[in-house]
Amino acid sequence: MNRREFLQCAAILVSGASISQLGFSLSEEQQLFLANAPDFNTGKVDYFSAAQREIVAALAETIIPRTDTPGAIDARVPVFLELMAANWLNDGERAIFMTGLQDIETRIPLEYGKPFHQLSAEEQLRILEALEDAAADSPWYDFGNVQREYISDAPFICQLKELTIWGFFTSKEGGSQVLRYDPMPMFFDGHVPLEPNESSWTQPIT
Amino acid sequence: MIESTQYDFDAIVVGSGISGGWAAKELTEKGLKVLVLERGKPLEAGTGYLGEHAPNWKLPFQGMRPRELYAEEYPVQSKVWFSFNEANRQFWNNDKQNPYAMDEGKPFLWARADVVGGRSLIWGRQTYRWSELDFKANATDGHGIPWPLEYQDIAPWYSYVEKFVGINGKKEGLPHLPDSEFQKPMPWFALEETIHARLKKKAPDITLTNGRVAILTEDLPGRSACHYCGPCQRGCSTGSYFSSQSSTLPAARATGNLTLRANSVVERLEYDSTSGKIARVHVIDTVTKERLAFSAKIFFLCASTVGSTQILMNSASEAFPNGLANSSGVLGHYMMDHTLGVSGIGVFLDNMDSYYHGNRPTGLYIPRFRNLNGQDEDADFVRGYGYQTATLRMDWQTGINTKGFGAHLKDSLRKPGPWIFALAGFTECLPRASNRMYLSEDKVDRFGIPQVVFDFEWSENEINLRKDATKHANRLLKAAGAVLTLPGDDKMSLPGEGIHEMGTARMGADPRESVLNAHNQTHDVPNLFITDGSFMTSASCVNPSLTYMAFTARACDYAVKQLAEGVL
Repeated sequence: MNRREFLQCAAILVSGASISQLGFSLSEEQQLFLANAPDFNTGKVDYFSAAQREIVAALAETIIPRTDTPGAIDARVPVFLELMAANWLNDGERAIFMTGLQDIETRIPLEYGKPFHQLSAEEQLRILEALEDAAADSPWYDFGNVQREYISDAPFICQLKELTIWGFFTSKEGGSQVLRYDPMPMFFDGHVPLEPNESSWTQPIT
Repeated sequence: MIESTQYDFDAIVVGSGISGGWAAKELTEKGLKVLVLERGKPLEAGTGYLGEHAPNWKLPFQGMRPRELYAEEYPVQSKVWFSFNEANRQFWNNDKQNPYAMDEGKPFLWARADVVGGRSLIWGRQTYRWSELDFKANATDGHGIPWPLEYQDIAPWYSYVEKFVGINGKKEGLPHLPDSEFQKPMPWFALEETIHARLKKKAPDITLTNGRVAILTEDLPGRSACHYCGPCQRGCSTGSYFSSQSSTLPAARATGNLTLRANSVVERLEYDSTSGKIARVHVIDTVTKERLAFSAKIFFLCASTVGSTQILMNSASEAFPNGLANSSGVLGHYMMDHTLGVSGIGVFLDNMDSYYHGNRPTGLYIPRFRNLNGQDEDADFVRGYGYQTATLRMDWQTGINTKGFGAHLKDSLRKPGPWIFALAGFTECLPRASNRMYLSEDKVDRFGIPQVVFDFEWSENEINLRKDATKHANRLLKAAGAVLTLPGDDKMSLPGEGIHEMGTARMGADPRESVLNAHNQTHDVPNLFITDGSFMTSASCVNPSLTYMAFTARACDYAVKQLAEGVL
């Protein structure tokens, strides 16, 4: 959120609250926190090689492509993945992730004659589907296995998907242009008609 | 009455959480000069809530938990999965800095705040009155000792605090869950109404009602009605949920009689054997490490169950070799907590074309329905449990392990999935002498104060209650029309995980078996009052904070009258 957007948001807060006599009082510190805190995925990171960076971008975009709404690259998911690989994954997870990435980096040109990111969308999809088929027995895919700690020994494709999906829907683009975002709903209504094509609300991560 | 000038303050309150905030408000409003001591860091209401309204993309790792940091510095607090996160970590105790003695064989989760306002900033905000059934439970089934007072003694104090706290809920007229002074209830999801209608027919023995929560649906002075942003536990600058920060401390401050000192760890209370009273409190400044002492006419311990009990134990003297005010020997024993956990999850395909606006910060509630009229024939336990419920629509987070890729995956993840309605049982815990806390003989904290050790295990009664809660949750979810039910496991929560630890300085009529009398005054030391959860003689199955508030207000009234009469 940049300063202009923040001020717009603050204006919404204030006008929304005017139905109450008390109004909102965002503190200076809060305003600074909201206005100046950078988006996480704009952080600096230099962990992947240039070639890996191109592959990761193509992988993320294959999982969540741009359609009539932003896709993974628009939402800086490749940077998120690099930040997570560098700073969040533990050594074991990182080894699985990097081994999987190196496998794509070295195997694909041998099999297809070109690196992953230069393949057609169909070919890229087929490669990921093959990885998913090979990993299908992983408990990562078990029904309902979602509210949990990160699964450290999950295969590369599962880690890639989990981080890509998380990184996308918690990003500003995914969270506010693909999902719907309203930080200050002001009232609760449990009987709102849902149109067939409508997206979920973004929920604050707790 | 002794002249005030002989004392540093009229009253000293230890702790600024739910109970301490109330003690500060009541005592200052009655004209006493009050010092509140808080071991945690200073925190300004509003300005200090740094993570409030922060969007997911601003959070470190976009909300994925920094596991290494948590394992290293917050191994205990980070287990409080529903509240602890990067948007409010500043409110919580750093376990590395302020540890307690952990026995690997007997784990106990001691959730602690470390700021002014204490756990009132991060509590679950569920507020339920106790009933006559609860206050009579010990006398009826013989577990623990009888309460020295009845529901009717505390009922007016419930009303008194409720009007100030601001609780929304729905009147039901249940004798076993008396109604509070309610603000208008929060609305329901369409699915909840569908479920309600089905349960009325198929499970007429239960009541499905609003979660009763200390969150405003109508403005109160200085506080706005809820704006439904969702994550209350990040702090609320509009004061929409009740915390000491939003409510009691500002009221106390407004009297001009409040002095609040943060970064102040209470080491011990000093007993004066000549007067038979507490003379002063000994404090260590957590920043300067300076040692200070303050005198007062009366002392209120509101430092949380474990905190207050630790202070009493560390205040042993010649007169009280086993811990201050512990002539009975029960101090630290009869500790209780509620077991909690998911008892059942139902997936629903009803009302799929209905959605919602706003994040309602509570679920619904199913009050206790077991052993209400004497002992149920099929119950292998005494007492009962209630369910807190959660209604949510599945979304990308619950579909993160979906198979497939591309536009189709993206589209399926962005749209709402089926509804979930989940039941979480909160079960009563019996008071048992063997469940206790005590001071470590060899481990001290960074101030040289002995660390707390816990020795706590669930008994068969709690285990059977929990099993019954799972069984009935499955029955209710089926009656409610779930197309799929996922049974909760019967796994017991960690002791302490309910964050309702209580009972270590229990109240009773007989000084030989209790620490406190019916006015939260210690039997042994007349100018010492304890009004946090340590006074609880039994546990009920409902969330206890409202009861702490009511007893605190009542104890303050009594103490000030005693002062006025010259008895204290």
